[in-house]
Amino acid sequence: MTAKGFLTDTTVCIGCKACEVACKQWNQLPDDGFVFTGTSYDNTGDLGASTWRHVAFIERPGKHPTDGFADLSWFEGDEAPGAKPAFGPDPTGDFSWLMMSDVCKHCVHAGCLDVCPTGSIIRTEFESVYVQPDICNGCGMCVAACPFGVIDRREDDGRAWKCTLCYDRLKGGMEPACAKACPTDSIVFGDVDELRQIAEQRVATLHERGVEEAYLYGESAESQPGTGGLNAFFLLVDDPEYYNLPPDPVDPTVTVGDSWRAAAATGLAMVAAVVGVFVSIGKAGR
Amino acid sequence: MTDDTPRFIGDQGRVGDAVGAEQQRDSGHDGYPAPGRTDHRRPSLAAEDGSPTYYDQPAIKEPVWIWSVPAYFYTGGVVAGAALIGAVAQLVDRDGYDGVVRRCRLLAAAGTALGTAFLVHDLGRPTRFLNMLRVFRPTSAMSMGSWTLAASSGTAAAAATLPSLGAPRLADAAGLAAGVLAPPLGTYTAVLVSDTAVPVWQSTRRAMPALFGASALSSATDALDLLDLDEHEERLTRRIGIVAKTGELAAAVTVERAAEDVHERVARPLREGLSGGLWRAAKLATATSLVLSLLPVPKRLRSLRRILSALAGTVGALATRFAVFHAGTASARDPRATFEPQRERSGGAGSVAARRVGAGTETQTGSV
Repeated sequence: MTAKGFLTDTTVCIGCKACEVACKQWNQLPDDGFVFTGTSYDNTGDLGASTWRHVAFIERPGKHPTDGFADLSWFEGDEAPGAKPAFGPDPTGDFSWLMMSDVCKHCVHAGCLDVCPTGSIIRTEFESVYVQPDICNGCGMCVAACPFGVIDRREDDGRAWKCTLCYDRLKGGMEPACAKACPTDSIVFGDVDELRQIAEQRVATLHERGVEEAYLYGESAESQPGTGGLNAFFLLVDDPEYYNLPPDPVDPTVTVGDSWRAAAATGLAMVAAVVGVFVSIGKAGR
Repeated sequence: MTDDTPRFIGDQGRVGDAVGAEQQRDSGHDGYPAPGRTDHRRPSLAAEDGSPTYYDQPAIKEPVWIWSVPAYFYTGGVVAGAALIGAVAQLVDRDGYDGVVRRCRLLAAAGTALGTAFLVHDLGRPTRFLNMLRVFRPTSAMSMGSWTLAASSGTAAAAATLPSLGAPRLADAAGLAAGVLAPPLGTYTAVLVSDTAVPVWQSTRRAMPALFGASALSSATDALDLLDLDEHEERLTRRIGIVAKTGELAAAVTVERAAEDVHERVARPLREGLSGGLWRAAKLATATSLVLSLLPVPKRLRSLRRILSALAGTVGALATRFAVFHAGTASARDPRATFEPQRERSGGAGSVAARRVGAGTETQTGSV
C-alpha cells in the first residue's frame, strides 16, 4: 500500500486546536494536566504520551507573511469602506502569530522503531509508525531516540505512546480525526506522493504572492536525509527552530555504527590489557 | 482567501483532487528551491539576538530512565571486568589463580542478577521484561544488550554454581563463555546511550565506549580489592587497576573534547550543574585511586592502600556512570544543544545525513 501521511500547511492554521480536541476525543487520551504556560495561547506545550496533536503559537514582531491575502471586503461592507475588521490581521502590524499543528512525523527511517528492543513499534501497511500497546514494556529507549521529542512514556501506565496516524480509522477507510476536524485544511491527509505535489504547488503559489519564506520541512529524503524524509511533513515560513523543529534531525541508527566500532576496539583493548598484565606477572606459582 | 488560492482537498481524504497540480508545478515555479537542495536554511522573519527556540522549551524528550539505569551501567561494568579477568586467569593458570577465578565468577553471577533487577525495575511495565527477548534487532543497542546480558547471566551463573554441583569442566566452559561476552557487555551500554537523540550522548559516541570499557575493568578490580586477596592476587588487581584507571581518565578527557568539538553547548552539562559536579568528582576520585595505587608503601600498609584505592575507585566509577546519565538529562533539556550543532552542519557537505544519502545505504554512518 502507498504511504499515507499528513501535510500540515502552517500558513492557513488559525490555531483553533480542533485537531488537538478531535485527537484526544477519538483516541480517548487522558488529560495531561491543566497547565498555564504563560508564554502564549499555547497551554498544551508539547507533544507527549497523551498529546498527539499540539498547536504551537509563535508570537513574533511584524506582520504575518500572508497578511493581506484575505479579502475582507465582504466583512467591511459597502457602508464602511476601508474600515478595519474587529479581528483578523493585526491592523497595526506590530506583531503576528505563526501557528502550527505539530504531530508525529512518521519518519521514513524512524529512530523510535529502529531502537525498540521488543518489536512493539512497527511499520504498518500505511507506512506509518505504530506502537503496539500490548507489547511495549516501557523501556524508554524510543523516548530518548526520537529526534523530534514526540514519543513519551505515560507515567501512570508505564508504556510509550504517540500518534497512531489513527490506525483504527485508516483501517476503516476514514481519514485521521485531526485532519477530519481541521476547519481550514491546514492538516491534509493523503498519499504522501500526492501530498508532496500539493505542497510544492502551494509553496510555488506562496512564492508567487511574495511569501518568499515559504518552504517545505521534511518532505523528502533529499531535504532531510537523517530521517529519510517524513510521512507527516510541514509547510513553514520561518526557521524550524521557532516551531520547535530540529533543523537537521537524524535517526540515531544512522550514527550508532561509529559507537559499535569504538566498542569493538575498546573490547579488544580490554582483553589486551588483562592478558598483558597476566603475562607480566606470570603464573600464580602456588 | 482569494479565489485563486488553491483549495487542497475536501473531506474524506480525497487527496487525489489536486486539480492541475502538475501544470501548476511546471509554471510559476520561480524561486522555488528544486528538490534535492541541500541548504534548507531560510531567512528568519523574527531576527532576534540569540538562536531561535520555541519559548526555550526542550526540543527533545528527556530520557525517562531512573537511577537504576546508571546503577546498572556500574554493575554491568563490574560483571564485564570480573568475567574477563576470571576467564583470562583460568586460561593462564587455572589452579594457581583458583581464588581469583572463584571470586570473579561470584562477582559476575551476583552482578548479572543485581543488574538485571536494576533494569527490570526501570521498566514501565516490569512484568513484561521478557519481551526484551521477543525480537533480535541489530539496529537497537538495547536489544543487543538484552541478549548479551541474558547470555552473560546464564553463563556467569553456571560458572559460579556448577563447581559445587560436581561439574567443574562445564563450569570452566561457562566461565570462558562469560569472558567472551564480557567486552560487549561492558561497552554496549555506551553504545546504548549514543543510540539516542540526546546531544551530549550522540556527540560523544566514538569516545564513550572507551570510558565505559575502562571503567568496567577498573570497577571490577576495585570490587575484587574489597574482597580478601593474597599478595599475589593483590599484585594482579593493582596492575590491572592502574592500566584501567589511566585509561578511564584519558577516556574522560576524550569524551569532553568530543563534546566540545561538536559544540560548546553540547559540552556544557559536563561542566555545569549536577552532572558537571559528578563528572569532576568522578575524575578526582579516579585520579585519587590511581595515585594511591602507585604510592610506594611499606608491606604492612599494602592492604590499607588497596582498600582505600578501591573505595576511591568505586566512588569514581559510580560517579562516572551517574555523571554521564545526568549529563544526558541536562542535554535533552537544552533546546540549543539540539538545535545549534544541527544548524551549523545542516546542508553542509560533510553532514551525516548528506553522506548517508550519498552512500545510499541505510546503515551508512558518518560524522557530525
